[in-house]
Amino acid sequence: MTATKILLVDDDVELLDMLKTYLEREGFEVAVATDAEAGVAAALSGSCQLVVLDVMMPRMTGIEALSRIRMASRVPVLMLTAKGDDADRIVGLELGADDYVPKPCTPRELAARVRAILRRTQAAEGSEEGPAAIESGPLKLFPRQRRAEWEGKALDLTSTEFNLLDALARNAGRPVSKDQLSEHALGRPLARFDRSIDVHVSSIRRKLGTLPDGRSWIQTVVRQGYQLVKE
Amino acid sequence: MGRLFWKFFFVLMLAQVTTVVGVSTAIWLRHRNVAAQAEWAPGHSAARLLETASTTLQRDGEAALRILLEDWSREPLPRVYALDSNGREILGRPVPRHAGGDASMADEAAGPRSVRRVPLADGRTYTLFMDEREAGPPGTPPGRGELRGPGGPDGPRGRTPSIFPIEPIVGGVLASLVVAALLAWYVAKPIRSLRGAFAAAAHGDLDVRIGDGMGRRRDELADLGRDFDRTAAQLKLLMDGQRRLLHDVSHELRSPLARLQAAVGLARQQPGNAEASMDRIERESVRMDKLVDELLALSRMEAGMGAGHEESVDLTELVNDVMRDAAFEVDASSSPMALEADIDALDGVSIKGNAEMLHRALENVVRNAARYTPPGGHVHVVGKHDAVKREIRLTIADEGPGVVVAELESIFEPFYRGTQAQGTRGHGLGLAIARRVVEAHGGSIRASNRASGGLAVEIRLPTA
Repeated sequence: MTATKILLVDDDVELLDMLKTYLEREGFEVAVATDAEAGVAAALSGSCQLVVLDVMMPRMTGIEALSRIRMASRVPVLMLTAKGDDADRIVGLELGADDYVPKPCTPRELAARVRAILRRTQAAEGSEEGPAAIESGPLKLFPRQRRAEWEGKALDLTSTEFNLLDALARNAGRPVSKDQLSEHALGRPLARFDRSIDVHVSSIRRKLGTLPDGRSWIQTVVRQGYQLVKE
Repeated sequence: MGRLFWKFFFVLMLAQVTTVVGVSTAIWLRHRNVAAQAEWAPGHSAARLLETASTTLQRDGEAALRILLEDWSREPLPRVYALDSNGREILGRPVPRHAGGDASMADEAAGPRSVRRVPLADGRTYTLFMDEREAGPPGTPPGRGELRGPGGPDGPRGRTPSIFPIEPIVGGVLASLVVAALLAWYVAKPIRSLRGAFAAAAHGDLDVRIGDGMGRRRDELADLGRDFDRTAAQLKLLMDGQRRLLHDVSHELRSPLARLQAAVGLARQQPGNAEASMDRIERESVRMDKLVDELLALSRMEAGMGAGHEESVDLTELVNDVMRDAAFEVDASSSPMALEADIDALDGVSIKGNAEMLHRALENVVRNAARYTPPGGHVHVVGKHDAVKREIRLTIADEGPGVVVAELESIFEPFYRGTQAQGTRGHGLGLAIARRVVEAHGGSIRASNRASGGLAVEIRLPTA
């Protein structure tokens, strides 16, 4: 099996150099881009399994780059955001980033996040474990192909969204805690004040539409988490 | 309504009520006296006049009376008429009808004091009497101005002026009430809106404006409102600037921190190769130190330069110093370039200011120019002295890529990095510091693109 290829996009050349060295030592193949435009082009070339994207870049920002990538690709994207800049973080997650790492971070933390995302996106793919399909109402999930259908039509989900929906569908009719969802979808426990799960869930809600009575398919259960409505 | 309103209201009220009551009382008292006088004074004087006339007639005869009456008729005195027994007036004047018309009527109508029969020695009798309108005997009917009360001609009390006039006082007090309330409101209202604005500002809302609420009012209070608006706008500008700077600083400090952490991570990952990582860590910490240093310089400039540091700065020396330092750095770097200074015009010219700060400002501009000039290029510094405008002009020109026209002004803002600047080593503070220093010295700084390519920064400073 060839090494997983990661694309690093950041305008700080020196930092990029060091991260590249570090990740290569960790067993990844690393491509770099020093500006957003080159990053978008490289991400859309389809040669990388994951993109690490810095939000703060001159000219085209990481947010804009992310929305361009998402127009054409579902490649997992990990954002590097400034600590405390919640706006960037939430906009990024809404635009379909899979997770974020606050910058500055240790390279070890970055590598761990990269692995967590890759594990979840690649684990099911090609594996023969688990059920071939999960059905709940109009929802049909095919974990082995990481494919989802809603009322017979293909659902366009990012891999984090797929993982979330997968966890909810397996427990349809029962609430799933945010912690469980975070472990399952992001591969990490939920940090305090972390709104990532809420942002991802609201993206999924938009894609599913509403029940005939106007309620959402994914219900918020106060203090317990989220629950997929079971018909 | 606030306390101020009530204070104004009561003070004005009190003043006006006092005035109304005082004036009313004074008028009332005066008229009571006049009325009392009117009861006796005219009658008294009339009696006196008649007495005098009759005495004159009795003692000195008709001729003397004639002279006396002629004298009196020229004086502002009540007319005294003298009729002989045939009803002829002694001076031939027409006798007013109401005054009696003839002696017998006068005799009947008037009391003993206003008509007097004077028998002469020759047996004839003269009747002396007065014009009643002017004599003003007691019991004169009302309708005569000086006897009316202050309540007006139809005031029911006008007839009896000795009773205190209540209605005019009540009316006056009511009018005072309204006037006092209006005036107090007029003063208190803008003060209340000012207070509201200050309270909002104290809670951090500097968007509040009160100028509009003042309408077309033009007085000290309206000016105060406009002053407040200006202050709030200025404060907001400053605070926004500070907030932006703080935000930028935190971002700017993160870049070297991120590199530090990456270097530490690498050192842990490859302990054998730790030496290279250590070099990096050292480099990054030096960078952060410089950044903090520049930030401090910037904040010192913002807080206003040390006013005590005024000294005479020789420009030739200053420019040569900066150029020498820059040349040293260029020699040490991998990209050789020519640094040229043409500053003969500045010979012997000096300016007043802080030498250290001016050095720093010029150094930043020259370094910036060197940074963008490609290897083998030139950085050209030209000095000119304008004796008429009493200023010097220093132009620092480079052969770099220049700056997009829309950004020519922005490059002097903290942490601004031109879209063409990429992967450079600066912190984005150099030109911002240069501008602060130059402006603190009463000068100006601006950038323009050269026709031949590259950027030219012009510094103007007033000479001592």
